[in-house]
Amino acid sequence: MISKNLATEVLNIATETGADFAEIYLEEENTASIGVDNGKVESCNDSLTYGAGIRLLKGLQSVYGYTNDLTTKGLKKLAKDLSASFFGEREIELKTIKKVRAGKKHLPKIPYDTYPREKIVKMLKEASEVMKNYDESIVRTTAQFAYSNKKITIFNTDGKQFSDIRCRGRAALVAVASKDGKIETFYRAPGAQKGMEFFLEEVDLNQSAKEVAKSAVTMLSAKECPSGKMPVVIGSGFGGVVFHEACGHSLEASVVSKGLSVFSGKKSEKIASNIVSAVDDATIEGAWGSGNIDDEGNKTRRNVLIKNGILNSYLVDDFNGRRMNEKGNGATRRQSYKYEPTSRMSNTFILPGESTPDEIIADTEFGLYAKSMGGGSVNPATGEFNFAVNEGYLIQDGKITHPVKGATLIGSGKEVLLHVDRVGNDLKREQGMCGASSGMIPADVGQPTIRVSEITVGGTGGDMNNG
Amino acid sequence: MVKYKKIFKKAEEEKIEALELKIKKSNNFSFSFFNNEINSYKMSNSFVISARGIYNGKMGTADSEKYDKNTMDYIIARIKENAMLMDSEDEPLIFKGSKAYKRKNVFNKKLAATSAEEKVKKIKSLDKAIKKASDLITNVETHYYEAAEEYTILNSYGLKLTSKTNYALVYSSATADDETGETKVQTAYRFITDLDNIDEKIFAQEIVEKTISQFGSTPCASGKYKSVFSPKVTGALLSALLSNISAEQVQKKSSLLADKLGQKICSSKITVTESPLKRNPFFRYFDDEGVATYDKILIKNGVLQTYVYNLQTAHKDGVESTGNGYKARGKIDIGLVNVAMKPGRLNQQQLLEKLGKGIYIDEISGTHSGLHSQSGNFSLIASGFMIEDGKKGRPVALITIAGNIFDVFNDVIAVGNDVELQTDGYEVPSILIKQIAISGV
Repeated sequence: MISKNLATEVLNIATETGADFAEIYLEEENTASIGVDNGKVESCNDSLTYGAGIRLLKGLQSVYGYTNDLTTKGLKKLAKDLSASFFGEREIELKTIKKVRAGKKHLPKIPYDTYPREKIVKMLKEASEVMKNYDESIVRTTAQFAYSNKKITIFNTDGKQFSDIRCRGRAALVAVASKDGKIETFYRAPGAQKGMEFFLEEVDLNQSAKEVAKSAVTMLSAKECPSGKMPVVIGSGFGGVVFHEACGHSLEASVVSKGLSVFSGKKSEKIASNIVSAVDDATIEGAWGSGNIDDEGNKTRRNVLIKNGILNSYLVDDFNGRRMNEKGNGATRRQSYKYEPTSRMSNTFILPGESTPDEIIADTEFGLYAKSMGGGSVNPATGEFNFAVNEGYLIQDGKITHPVKGATLIGSGKEVLLHVDRVGNDLKREQGMCGASSGMIPADVGQPTIRVSEITVGGTGGDMNNG
Repeated sequence: MVKYKKIFKKAEEEKIEALELKIKKSNNFSFSFFNNEINSYKMSNSFVISARGIYNGKMGTADSEKYDKNTMDYIIARIKENAMLMDSEDEPLIFKGSKAYKRKNVFNKKLAATSAEEKVKKIKSLDKAIKKASDLITNVETHYYEAAEEYTILNSYGLKLTSKTNYALVYSSATADDETGETKVQTAYRFITDLDNIDEKIFAQEIVEKTISQFGSTPCASGKYKSVFSPKVTGALLSALLSNISAEQVQKKSSLLADKLGQKICSSKITVTESPLKRNPFFRYFDDEGVATYDKILIKNGVLQTYVYNLQTAHKDGVESTGNGYKARGKIDIGLVNVAMKPGRLNQQQLLEKLGKGIYIDEISGTHSGLHSQSGNFSLIASGFMIEDGKKGRPVALITIAGNIFDVFNDVIAVGNDVELQTDGYEVPSILIKQIAISGV
């Protein structure tokens, strides 16, 4: 997008007042989206994201700016304006920039821009039809598809140039069921850092559509969820949002480095039960949260966060790593050039154990089976988390009985992992969008079926012990 | 705007029946302090052009942050291709203009003219005041965020509207540890119109008080409680309720307020207005379709007064757009600007006295996942205080409040006068409600 010579000039302007590091992040992303509402194409949009972010570091201070003006004049002006926030003498000077090869592990086999959009429309309409025809209580369906092709280039004062290409596609299915003055919605949104082959060969959208409609209809007849502390069996796949919220965010250097996390200074200490091991792995081929390099240019890795219950590693970016005397471990991400990068999760999941999901249920006398989880959030300083159960069932005498609605799981991240007493063998990852200071980024959450011996369930159905 | 003329000309040549361009230029400036040291400093300028055009009887759209010699061709080609894929039966509409527009000059010149150094100095002083307010405070982070935007809509029918707005927000978070090693963190924010008038002491006291008053908090017993909800909680639930007055949701059978026009949908204590023309950071005198906005009553004494429309949904119902068409997710959705709930007569203390025995819910989290606007069901993590004899008692945390938003607003006994402007523009007071289900221990 810009030449090495221009990058060198801009970086040298940025560091003329004493910054000890500077970086230019350039991005061009084409995004297309198609929305089918009740079987009709109601929106179809293309959008072009284009710009550059320049970051200057000096000790523990960072200065960041961005612009869409990528002309020589525009970039030099931004670098000059940013450098005006420091008042020292030049400390570093960049002479040459060398390209670092990062690999091309996640390229699509069938790029979206070579695949006819009419065929995507046809696929969405079919899925809509499946949802609508599932039951007469389905009153509305939406099927959306979005894909993007993002090219990034990074130049920094270590004299390095990195680039990466990220192609992602995702479908989102929503079914709205209504009966007797009640409305329930359900959704599923499979995606990958792959091309159209993912939707042609790996996922069956019509099957997903059927399951979405079924869940929405099931929840119409769900009873109020009992509340109070009880054992909770959390289903595989998106159930991993528990780990993501309860623990993952609190392992990010952005909070750990400042002592603002419940897990600050806890490395090598026991933070989970012995049967819990968890990783953050941005190297999985074609996974939703993967990348060849992170957004600072570091090679991505498989970071083992927790090993047999012991805290093994944080997620570290180079800047926050300065407070911790650690180097970045390939976990730096950002939504776009409009965001300063920081430590984030990529594909984060609990590793499989030995029990089968059926054994775990059969072994539970009374509790909640949280089959499908919604999103959640956490306060990293206190570790308090909450997340919604989108599809839940009561477990009585080792059997799943009836569906329950309106449940939220709350607790403290410090405790919930210590209370995991069963880990299943059915590891599955699902796709989500994770929001934090560096924006909304695609991230996989995942886990096998697990059981937490005791967790607070918030519902409207009253205390289970008092009827 | 001369440079956009050729796009209209080219569009006409390419058989695009009508074209609309929206151009946004933004300048942002922000910085933050961590323990009174500046740790981040940001500035930016950005541009985006959003285009919609009618081609072959259908609407196509495209956006670009790049503006160079290829942008015109990109926009026109994308509009045409996207229009060809559309098969919605809705008639595509580009607006010829409202009879009158209530334009106001809301640009804060003083804020724009104040130097960055001056802003940094003032915020540093505020950050320091928070740390000084209590020995228990271990960490303070204070963020200053300022944004200015120039927004223009142009279309083939000669419509041309521009607006220039700016605002500043300060946001702090304070962490405190007590002697037992318990950690609490709370946040506070203010919209700033004049940096010379920041109520430094009051702001510092507010956030510190909020943080340390939560020490020793534990869950309360599960059960149904009479309750007062803070303005923040009221705002979040009201926002979910109002998503159901979108004409699109009603027309597509996804709203529980369908067929409820003119009917009582909540307690007669509740009156809600939308005032896009109010002078504040959210001011809008035209929506994203170029329709003039106006102030209106949405709910009067519990009775639903109107649905809100964009051009498309209004056309379908044979009414006029209410000026609520706002762009989201690549199409014109329906949104609200400057929603306010009419305050009652009681201040917060009087409201708590009226409550007598029950619980005050101060904070909630997780509304993006635990609050379902269509079914109205919610179950949210919450914290607050037990109320005994009308006074705040022990702090409560790690509980959930659960119920249905329609029931909550039906159960309102009284509305407070402690109106607060929320970060999403909702101006709402505390409310006293008959009962709420709490899960604790």
